[in-house]
Amino acid sequence: MITLRGLTKRFGPVTAVDDLTVDIAPGRVTGFLGPNGAGKSTTMRMVLGLDAPTAGRALVAGRPYRELRRPLHEVGALLDARAVHPARSGRAHLLALARSNGIPGRRVDEVLALAGLDDRAAAKPGRALSLGMAQRLGIAGALLGDPPVLMFDEPVNGLDPDGVRWIRELTGRLAAEGRTVLVSSHLMSEMEQTAGHLVVIGRGRLIADAPVGELLATGGSVRVRGPQPEGLSRLAARLTAEGAAVDGDGAGGFTVTGVTAGRVGDLAYELGVVLHELTPVTATLEQAFMELTADAVEYASGVAR
Amino acid sequence: MSAAVRTVAAPAVAARRGEALAGAVAAEWTRLVSIRTTWWTLLAGVLLMAATSAQLAIYAQNSNTSADPTDDRGIVTAGSVAIDALDLTQYAVLALGLLAITTEFTSGTIRSTLTATPSRGTVLAAKAVVTGAVTFAYGLLLGLIGVAVAVPVLGPWGRTPVAATVGDVLAVAAYLALVGVLALGLGAVLRSAVLTLIVLLAVLMIVPLSLQEPDITVLTRIADGFPGVAGRHFMTGDGDPYPAVVGLLVLAGWAAAALAAGRWALRRRDA
Ligand SMILES: Nc1ncnc2c1ncn2[C@@H]1O[C@H](COP(=O)(O)OP(=O)(O)OP(=O)(O)O)[C@@H](O)[C@H]1O
Ligand SMILES: [Mg+2]
Repeated sequence: MITLRGLTKRFGPVTAVDDLTVDIAPGRVTGFLGPNGAGKSTTMRMVLGLDAPTAGRALVAGRPYRELRRPLHEVGALLDARAVHPARSGRAHLLALARSNGIPGRRVDEVLALAGLDDRAAAKPGRALSLGMAQRLGIAGALLGDPPVLMFDEPVNGLDPDGVRWIRELTGRLAAEGRTVLVSSHLMSEMEQTAGHLVVIGRGRLIADAPVGELLATGGSVRVRGPQPEGLSRLAARLTAEGAAVDGDGAGGFTVTGVTAGRVGDLAYELGVVLHELTPVTATLEQAFMELTADAVEYASGVAR
Repeated sequence: MSAAVRTVAAPAVAARRGEALAGAVAAEWTRLVSIRTTWWTLLAGVLLMAATSAQLAIYAQNSNTSADPTDDRGIVTAGSVAIDALDLTQYAVLALGLLAITTEFTSGTIRSTLTATPSRGTVLAAKAVVTGAVTFAYGLLLGLIGVAVAVPVLGPWGRTPVAATVGDVLAVAAYLALVGVLALGLGAVLRSAVLTLIVLLAVLMIVPLSLQEPDITVLTRIADGFPGVAGRHFMTGDGDPYPAVVGLLVLAGWAAAALAAGRWALRRRDA
């Protein structure tokens, strides 16, 4: 369980994280989404006690990170995979971390195997590691203490398709074991397949904290068709009055967003309009995300919309 | 449960700290011996010591122009040659001390180090223990090498009284351990190897030398408070202007102050 309460971080004039209050629950993979510069990495650094919050608190299992006794047994984190000493071997890197938390050396071999790094790869100095290998090494480090809480910052970065599948399976398995798993990404397609729950932030602010299905519905629409043009336009008017957005020719049917299919059906019944089709159309996570973060993209692309 | 966690008895807290420090020391040892830079630095120091002390011994021998050993510039001890050779040799030890922390910042590993050991004080203490112990042992080796090289080169112009030579070698080791820790603390504050080296150069040599240069008593007294000068007073055992042990304490004070500043910086600043 990770608890954020009014978590805020300012770097001079930049507010990187803005009054974030979220609980990251165990037993499921929580996707941590946001465009570049949204504050995902900064949030994770504050959870790990690396950056001090300007305001608010970040707690792991109810305690500030700096109070944890043997933290690798409580939280495993992959932040920046590139942060390895250029001349130190991956194995020695892990061994140092293990020793600091009283973890036996044989656990190093276990996590190396878990991460799919063979002896040859583990003996390579940091500078000789490919990004994918470094990423695997970072994940091996996170698993050292077999912790109940895991945080991965953009773990699929630099991984080949095999590696991506491996991460997906690993995070799923860890969550199924009842652990808290927080995975940041700006790749929606990835999250759609891995995460059960999403926390979306933009410019440091919380935009959404909901199950994936719910977010998909947010960006979704309802397709309506019926044989009575007059009845359909009455229904469309009523929907518009309720704040939904109606799109399409009133003749054969229309598409409406901002309302559930159930509500459209209720209204049609109430107005006595015959419907031949009432179909909820779920958006892709990509669309939902775009919609949610449209106002919050720090570096809007120069291409005209 | 959280109440139980918060009301741990004081001895348990102390035991927990000790355990964390022991783990952190083991980790620092692993970090130190797992990079080749360490071994190259140690080798460089050995070569520097051998070369410098040979050179100084040749100078001492050359300035004795008479065939009579009781004449001219007189007799020097092999230990004093080893001590003089430190002016240059100490940079190998300084590099060892400062690299222990600055490479963590340049490579970004400081984040995983602090994630594994969140107490900044414990991390720095562990680095200080390892740096201090290794540079002390290494200092003994360097002192012995300096003496061993100086003895045959000095020939009749050299003396190696056992007790004094052992004292000199121990003093060299203590000096190097303390400047190694000083470099570590300063590195924790400045985070950059180059910057730390420049400040060390200034504090150990440039500033005190410039203060001593005009030969004005007040300035010379100020220079006596600098770590390099204090260390020298301690090693050479001269009683002026303060007893040798005061020189040791002044140097230890600098090392302690650098560590305290380093801990403060680590605690206060984001990693
Ligand atoms: N040490 C720092 N000093 C100053 N500004 C910083 C610092 N770290 C982060 N920032 C700023 O804080 C904001 C959030 O950055 P952060 O790295 O947390 O975003 P992110 O969501 O992880 O982005 P990305 O997807 O690109 O990794 C950005 O505007 C960034 O420039
Ligand atoms: Mg980031």
